[in-house]
Amino acid sequence: MKGLLEYCRGNSFLHSCNPLIKIAAAFIMCVGCFMCSSLIYVLCVIGITLIAGYSAGVGGKVLKIFTSLLKLGFILLLLQIFFISEGHVLISLPFGIRVTAEGLHFCVLLALRIAGATLPLALMLMVTKMSDISGALVKKLHVPYKYAFAITTALRFIPVFADEMNGIIEAQTARGVEFDTKNPIKKISLMLPLCVPLLVSSVKRIEDSSTSALLRGFSLRTYKSGVKTYPFHLRDAALLSVAAVTSACGLLIGILI
Amino acid sequence: MIELSNVAFGYAEGPVINNLNLQLEKGSFTAITGGNGAGKTTMVKLISGLLKPTSGCVRLCGTDTRELKAKNRAKLCGFLFQNPDRQICKTSVYDEIGFSLSCIGIAGGEADKIIRETAEMLELDTKSEPFSLSKGERQKVALASVLAANPEILILDEPTTGLDYRECMRIMKIVADLNNSGTTVIMVSHDMEIVADFAKRVIVFEGGKIILDGDCRSVLTDERLRCISSVLPPQAAVLGQKLGGRFSGLFTTEEIISDCILQSQCRMHNA
Ligand SMILES: Nc1ncnc2c1ncn2[C@@H]1O[C@H](COP(=O)(O)OP(=O)(O)O)[C@@H](O)[C@H]1O
Ligand SMILES: [Mg+2]
Repeated sequence: MKGLLEYCRGNSFLHSCNPLIKIAAAFIMCVGCFMCSSLIYVLCVIGITLIAGYSAGVGGKVLKIFTSLLKLGFILLLLQIFFISEGHVLISLPFGIRVTAEGLHFCVLLALRIAGATLPLALMLMVTKMSDISGALVKKLHVPYKYAFAITTALRFIPVFADEMNGIIEAQTARGVEFDTKNPIKKISLMLPLCVPLLVSSVKRIEDSSTSALLRGFSLRTYKSGVKTYPFHLRDAALLSVAAVTSACGLLIGILI
Repeated sequence: MIELSNVAFGYAEGPVINNLNLQLEKGSFTAITGGNGAGKTTMVKLISGLLKPTSGCVRLCGTDTRELKAKNRAKLCGFLFQNPDRQICKTSVYDEIGFSLSCIGIAGGEADKIIRETAEMLELDTKSEPFSLSKGERQKVALASVLAANPEILILDEPTTGLDYRECMRIMKIVADLNNSGTTVIMVSHDMEIVADFAKRVIVFEGGKIILDGDCRSVLTDERLRCISSVLPPQAAVLGQKLGGRFSGLFTTEEIISDCILQSQCRMHNA
């Protein structure tokens, strides 16, 4: 997963939209997935997100996230499928375990919904700079800078910590810790001691960045501070309408079915 | 002892090292220097077996690093990282050194003995808490946990950056002693004065390639070294070259001073 959610530079349609609109559009798409229980509709949402991803030049990454979400969904599916025993029986296994058509439909829908609801948000993170998200939140919605900063910093530090963790694993491998064991319990017990150096370095890093933020007048910021403005354009209306129409379709199909 | 043949390596962003050939003898002390991002760390990680080459092969004592298990590799080759904090994961120096030993399968009374000996050698208090120590002390704790395994090869990645002169000399003294008793040492360093004082062989690395390679004197007094913008030759070597004549082959302050003293004694004797 390393680096998958990181910002990718570009100047596509999606890149140039207003950050707030992008967040809103992504959320509307997510909500749409839960409005309607048609598999085809959820597949359509995923399709639209993939196309949007390719148009912004990050299609490969979106696809990668999609496949890893599907794997996760598949595990959930296996867990669920045997516990829904109502409806038309497709396969009958020993010990009274039955796979039913309803169960299968419910589980596949759940797996796809998870993907459909996550992908638009992931795509949004890939085409929007963290500083722009916090900037727009502060400028347009007058969210106090303190909170906007905290959220975006937390997200920004994920890849930094992932890097740090890789370095720590490397350093411990050099001492002879065998990480490539197949046994997951053993692996977790090997990873636990590594949390200490990670914690220490994180606390140090956070202390450093808070000091440097304070020195640069962090506490003096208001929503009027900042050079960048985030005006709305026609393209933002277009993006929002695409998202709104998609979700509306979902709602409509949901009511009709 | 250490043999790299046609080694190539790259990260996801692109190749870093192309077609590298190198041999290091047992008991040698090799310094590797070069600009930031030249690929020095990558190269020593390849040597230690932490990274596996994409093509070619690295052999340690005749074994391909791809076939070495983590435990055996740790016994063979110790690696001191640029950042000691990545290595330290226990809350006391005693446990920290002990953890290294348990990784390679030494425990009980034998481990206790080794821990005390190593701590004594590096003048460390076994009860102190690593994270509350100074950078130099933490570097020493990390070094202690590497040395406890008694590796045949010792790799140091910029061991002296960020240390004051005294701490720096203390660490180098220990490393030099180990080298004298037969440990093969490979050290990445920007500090040419340290390199001049301790290394026997110097390799200058730039853009993933070896540009200069030879014994310490020949590399440090090489005219070409002054043309590499990222490396500053030791002051004494520059002075020796400026003075020319019999000074041009000298590269440490002691050499120049003793040469001058010798000359003036000769003159006094003749007069
Ligand atoms: N973990 C990594 N992932 C991707 N690229 C890396 C990684 N580590 C180093 N690099 C790249 O490899 C090149 C050589 O790095 P490095 O070996 O650390 O150089 P040096 O130690 O000589 O300063 C640099 O361009 C660096 O950006
Ligand atoms: Mg380095």
